[in-house]
Amino acid sequence: MKARIDRTVLLAVVALLIVAPWILQAVEHEFWLDILAEVLIWSLFAASVNVLFGYAGLLSFGQALFFGMGMFGVAIGIAKLGLGFWPALGLGMAVAVGTAAITGALAVRLTWHYFAIITVVFSLIFYFIALSAKPLTGGDDGTSFVMPAMLEAGEFELSLTDQTVQYFFILAVVAAAYFVKFLIVRSPFGMALMAVRENDVRASLIGLNVYFLRWSAFVIAGAFAGLAGCLFAMFGRYASATYMFYHVSGEGVVWTIIGGAGTLFGPVVGTALLIVVREELSNMWEHYPILVGIVVILTVIFAPKGLMGFWNALLDRLSQRPADRAAGEAPPQEEDAAAAPVPREGRP
Amino acid sequence: MDLVIALALNGLVWGLIIALIALGLSIIFGLLDIINLAHGDFFMVGTVLTWFVLEATGNYWLAFLIVPLLGFLLGALVERSVIQPIRGMAALSIVATFGLSIIIQEVVRAGYGAAPKRILPPIEGTIPLFGIEYDYYRIFAAAVSVIAIFVFFAFLHRTKLGTWMRAVRFDRDTALAMGVPARTVYMVTFALGFSMAALGGAVAAPITTVDFQTGVDVLPFCFMAVIIGGLGNLPGTVAAAVLLAVTEGVVTSFTDPTVARIVSLCLMSAVLIARPHGLFTGATR
Repeated sequence: MKARIDRTVLLAVVALLIVAPWILQAVEHEFWLDILAEVLIWSLFAASVNVLFGYAGLLSFGQALFFGMGMFGVAIGIAKLGLGFWPALGLGMAVAVGTAAITGALAVRLTWHYFAIITVVFSLIFYFIALSAKPLTGGDDGTSFVMPAMLEAGEFELSLTDQTVQYFFILAVVAAAYFVKFLIVRSPFGMALMAVRENDVRASLIGLNVYFLRWSAFVIAGAFAGLAGCLFAMFGRYASATYMFYHVSGEGVVWTIIGGAGTLFGPVVGTALLIVVREELSNMWEHYPILVGIVVILTVIFAPKGLMGFWNALLDRLSQRPADRAAGEAPPQEEDAAAAPVPREGRP
Repeated sequence: MDLVIALALNGLVWGLIIALIALGLSIIFGLLDIINLAHGDFFMVGTVLTWFVLEATGNYWLAFLIVPLLGFLLGALVERSVIQPIRGMAALSIVATFGLSIIIQEVVRAGYGAAPKRILPPIEGTIPLFGIEYDYYRIFAAAVSVIAIFVFFAFLHRTKLGTWMRAVRFDRDTALAMGVPARTVYMVTFALGFSMAALGGAVAAPITTVDFQTGVDVLPFCFMAVIIGGLGNLPGTVAAAVLLAVTEGVVTSFTDPTVARIVSLCLMSAVLIARPHGLFTGATR
C-alpha cells in the first residue's frame, strides 16, 4: 500500500511539473516557472550532498566547490573560449568531475569531522583562487555571457532564451540525474556504499574496498554538483565565485537534512520547501532567515530523518502493518528508492 | 623591512586574539563533540555588543567586563536550547550550529544594521618597537589576550570546575561515575567558549570593523588553528594560531592577502592529510 501511495504521488508530481508552464501561464504567474527551475537545479545540488552524506555517510561542506567549477566551466567556455552550448556543458562537467577526482583522492582519506573540515578547506582554497584569478574568472564581479543556441537547424533554433524551453531542458536534465541516482542507489554499488556508511570496518572485512567506494561516491557527488552548477550558470548566464563559498554548501546540507538525508527525494522536498518559503517570505519579512535557522534547528532536534522520514513513518502507520513499521524505522532506508515527495506546488 | 616587521607584529597580535577565540572552539569540540560553525558569529556578537556598550555608556573599559559576561549568559542559553538536545550527534551538530549561525547573523542584521561600522581604539598613540612606530592599542590588545589565555589555563588547572572539565574530557564515563555534574560542566564549557569568543570580539573591535559578517572570515581561521594545533590540544591551538597569523602576516608583506590565505589553507590541508591529529601531538594533553 505504501509503495502504491508513493508511486501515485510521484506520478502526480511529475505530471504537475510537466504541465506547470501551461498552468502558470493560465493563472498569469509565469514568474513561478523560473522559481520552479531554480528549485530543480538546487535540488540536484542537494542530491549531491545526499549521495555523500545520506548514502556514503560522509558529511561534505564543500560541494559548492564543484558547483562553482561547473558554473565557471560553462561561463568561461562560452565567454572566453567561444564554445557552443554542448561543448561548454561538457567542459563544465569535465572541470567539475576532474576537480572532484583529485580533491576526493585526498579528502576521502579522512572521515567524520576531519572530512567535513577538509571539504570546507578545499572549497575555500578554490574560492580564494577564483577571487584572485581575475583575468580568467572576473573575481568579485564574476563572468557573464550570452547564451548560445542549444540546437540550430536552418531556420529552426532551440535556445534557453525561451523560458519554457529552458524550463523543460532543466526538468529533463534533473529528472535524468535523479533517475541515475535511483539506479546507483539500487545497484550493488549503492548497497556497498550503505554498508560502508553503517560500518566501514565490517565493510572492509567482507572485502569491500572502502577507500575506492568513498572516492567513487565523492566523484559521483561532484558530478551531480557540477551538473547543477552548469545548469545554474546557463539559467543565470553568469558565474561567480560567491557560489563557491562554504555557505552555499551549507545550504545544500540544510536542504538535504530538512528533506531527509538518505532518501531519494528528500533533497527535492527540502529544497522546494525552503526556496518557496524564501520566495514567499522575503517580500513580507526581510529577516526571514531567522525562521529558516529555527526550522533547521527544530528539524535536527525533533525530526533528524527529515520530512521524508516523517512522511514514511506516517505512511507506515497508516498502512498499519507492524512489520512495515519496523522496517521503516531501520536506519537504511532502501525502500525510499520508490518514495515520492509531497506535492511541491503550494500555489497554482 | 619595516613593512615585514609591522605585518609580522600585526600577525602576532591577531594570532593571540584568534588563539583566545579558537580556545573556545577547541574546548567546545573537545568536551561536547560539537563542531561549532557558529563560533565565528560568537566573536561577531562580541564586537557588536562592544559597539552597543560603547553607544550606551561611552566607556570602553566597561565593555571588557560586560561583553564576556553577556557572552557567558548567551552561551548558557544556547547550550540549553540548541546544543543539549543534540549532544552526541556530531554530524547533526554541524547542521544545527549552521542554523544557529544563520539566526545570529540575521538577528544582528536586524538589530544592529547591515552597514559595517568602526570603533575608535580607547588608547591612541604609537610607541617605537623594533625600529617602527607601532599602535599602542594593538600591544594592549595582545596583552589582554595573553592575560585572558593565562586566566583560562589557570581556571582549567586550579579550580574545581576546571578540573571537572578536564575530567569529563579525559574520561567521560568515569567522571560521571565519580559524581561530576556533567550537565553543568557541558553548559559552563559552552558558555565559556562563547564568552571567550565574545571577549576576543571586544578586544578586536577597534582593529577590525564591526559588521554582522565578520564571523564568516574568522571561523575558517579558528578552525585552522584548532586543527593544526590538534583537535582538543589547547596549548597546541594557541601555538598554531600565533604561527598561522604570523606566517600569513609575513606572506602578506610579499604578496596580496588572498594569496597569503591560500598559502595557509594549503598548509592546513597538508597538516590534515599528513598529521590529522595536529602538528604538536604528544606535546601536552
